[in-house]
Amino acid sequence: MARTKGYPEALEKKLQEQRYFREDSNPEFSKEVKAISRTIPHMCYQCGTCTGSCPSAPRSSYRIRKFMRRVVLGLENEALTDPDLWLCTTCYSCSDRCPRDIIPTDVIMSMRNLAFKRDIVPVNFLKTVTAIYASGHGVPNNDVNRAARERLGLTRDPPTTHMYPEYMPAIRKILDHYKLKANADRIIKEREG
Amino acid sequence: MSESGINHKFAFYLGCIAPNRYPGVESASIKAMKKLGVELVPLKGASCCPAPGAFGSIDLAVFYAMAARNLVLAEQMKMDIALVCNGCYKSIWEVNHKLKHNKDLRDAVNEVLKEVDMEYKGTINVYHTAELLYNEKFIGVDKIRDSVTNPLTGARIAVHYGCHLVKPHKDREFEKEVMLNTEHPVWMEELVAALGATPVEYRNKMQCCGAGGGVRGYDIVHALDITNEKLINLKEEKVDALTDICPFCQLQFDRGQIEIQEKFGVTYNLPVLHFAELLGLAQGMSPQDLGLDLHGISCEPFLQKVL
Repeated sequence: MARTKGYPEALEKKLQEQRYFREDSNPEFSKEVKAISRTIPHMCYQCGTCTGSCPSAPRSSYRIRKFMRRVVLGLENEALTDPDLWLCTTCYSCSDRCPRDIIPTDVIMSMRNLAFKRDIVPVNFLKTVTAIYASGHGVPNNDVNRAARERLGLTRDPPTTHMYPEYMPAIRKILDHYKLKANADRIIKEREG
Repeated sequence: MSESGINHKFAFYLGCIAPNRYPGVESASIKAMKKLGVELVPLKGASCCPAPGAFGSIDLAVFYAMAARNLVLAEQMKMDIALVCNGCYKSIWEVNHKLKHNKDLRDAVNEVLKEVDMEYKGTINVYHTAELLYNEKFIGVDKIRDSVTNPLTGARIAVHYGCHLVKPHKDREFEKEVMLNTEHPVWMEELVAALGATPVEYRNKMQCCGAGGGVRGYDIVHALDITNEKLINLKEEKVDALTDICPFCQLQFDRGQIEIQEKFGVTYNLPVLHFAELLGLAQGMSPQDLGLDLHGISCEPFLQKVL
């Protein structure tokens, strides 16, 4: 439902007609992104400081400004199915410089969250989940490193979940609460058979 | 200073890449910080922070809960956390900050933590060791200079700040205000100079290493291309070594150079050392004690200059 601004009827009608929308606009998408990212995307006035600061922009078609516009316009499908969504290195340079104090990086992160809900996610992200479910570490220890640690006077395994696996059940319980492992396994299986 | 010489104690949060790929960073941090009056106590049972790129991208709610579990472990020790990695800082510091200031997030996290008999209370602070080193409230540049027994004289060293310690500056709350300068900071250069080395500026110093956000796993060539741009800029300045304060950046620059060699056919042979490793060297630790032989790119040319 369009809000009126209390202008004379003729002007109101004119403004209505000029409001940009497309058939595939989903206003709920904008709201969801705002809620998850905890920043205010519609403050964006498309200055492009974000894209100008982005290390991924010069070497790809990824344009953070474009994604900001898609959020404001509610272009859910266009945003979530674009493979460029996954080229943000989360360096926060755009967020550092945004003159509107928006955090575009967190807008990207929230869109990735919404994409994951539709099973749109690169497999490497899921493998980090399964690694942590297995050992508590995204980058686990190995035998070469164990020997090196010993040589340096350290314990063969670091005093983390590696040395104290009794902490693992709590970690698995937290991940299971969100069904993250089950979803990751299912998607990996679908992709890799 | 107390009789033992220890003024501060922190729960030492290790993360993944430091202990499991560059263990010298762990041992150097513990030994070097001890000489400077800071004891790092193991944070037993800590897990991955979790990786802000991978986990944050999948589900921020899980990201908050997993980071909160690590925070609770330190709360139970009644100790502030010290850590050596920018990625871990992003997870652990930022989630701590968010949970402290947002009741809705805290309640949601505590509902999950209840299932594992934990409760996040918000009673501790989180620091990066670089911050402890630079802030005279804990250590400070002068004290570091005084601790140096093997000055790294003559070495030209460039700094890679990385992203997640300092950006976005509007969300950060450093006691040292110069750390909030993200366009052209020089506080790390001060630390490098305190070790007797010559800090070197280079083009686009604050650019990302390219590894974050899951991009290293998603599109390695894209990630390496970003790294390569930094290496080109570093080569222009003929630096002897690059220092970082993030093991993930270190991995990207160090092992990344081997991958760049394979994929782009360009060779740099630029030694990449975590600042903890540099500090250890300057305090007289041997390259063997620091595990520098584990690096992908040989540190020899640099070591010959400073030892």
